[in-house]
Amino acid sequence: MSVSVDSGDKGGKKSVNADLNLVPYIDLLTCMVAFLLITAVWSQLARLEAHQKGQGQAGEDTPPEKQFKLVVVVNDEGFNVVADQDQQPIPKKGTEYDYEKLGTELKKLKDSHPDKGDVQVASEDQIKFEILVRTMDTALTARFPDISLIDAGGAGI
Amino acid sequence: MPIKPAHPHLYSSVSLEVAKAKLGHAGRKSLNAPLNLVAYIDMMTMLVIFLLMSFSATGEILFVQKNIVLPNAQNWAELERAPVIGVSKDVVTLDGSQVATADDLMKDSNTGDFKVTELHDKLVTLKNNYKLLHPGEEFNGIAIIQSDKGVEFKVLKKIMYSCAVAGYQNVNFAVIPKTKAAGPAGE
Repeated sequence: MSVSVDSGDKGGKKSVNADLNLVPYIDLLTCMVAFLLITAVWSQLARLEAHQKGQGQAGEDTPPEKQFKLVVVVNDEGFNVVADQDQQPIPKKGTEYDYEKLGTELKKLKDSHPDKGDVQVASEDQIKFEILVRTMDTALTARFPDISLIDAGGAGI
Repeated sequence: MPIKPAHPHLYSSVSLEVAKAKLGHAGRKSLNAPLNLVAYIDMMTMLVIFLLMSFSATGEILFVQKNIVLPNAQNWAELERAPVIGVSKDVVTLDGSQVATADDLMKDSNTGDFKVTELHDKLVTLKNNYKLLHPGEEFNGIAIIQSDKGVEFKVLKKIMYSCAVAGYQNVNFAVIPKTKAAGPAGE
């Protein structure tokens, strides 16, 4: 198993062809392919972070009177974005939740409160997990990195 | 049939002298044929590059279960080693062993207590084991919930409550990463 290298010069007396020994290289490649195939991870999974920090629990440093509370309530009718005393209902578009409008509303709130990093997602019992994940994903896209998932009954809305 | 003295032969019609002459380079044309290895080496190199690009140093933390369909998410972070709670439409498992059924969790508790006893006890055991094995390290309280996308929040809140009571305050949800322009978020 060898490959010859031709200098292209035919005028010399002695041939300058040299054989490359490719056996060790092929051995190395075969070993690497075998190792990488054994250790390969075919299913790429990731995680979405959520906290269970409820209202008034430990871990909230800011005094309650200075807090700006932002809650996204998820129910059968759609979303309800509660920012302190203001409520902004976002009804469903037909049977689908309006994630686009939710994202727009959250971005507006982020622009008006740039220091605010946390948002609570309050869900009712019958809401499916996929809807909650998409809601949390929308909140993360709107630059709210600290997300808590809580029960709508305990959110005090 | 006449008896002949022994001599090298293949068949009566083929004389070994011809083959011998060719093998011994006495013939006109050499029988040596060089193998073209360029295509083979190219293929192996491409394969190694592809496998190296998809290589993950953390290994396989989560295994996809057949009865669990995970949701997609754009904003995701890399997985960490933590207890994995699998939630399908029928059964709840902790690191592969069953701890509750979905029917149990869908029922309303008479006492109003959301705690799933078996899950809670096993999580407490895992937490204690971690603290024994890593005496100098702070317990991060991370648990991964690998839930089917059709599971209702009623089931999830009981699991999350059990995790919180057992000391696992940081719950991560396993998702399938959706490709986007930016890389992993939150890290």
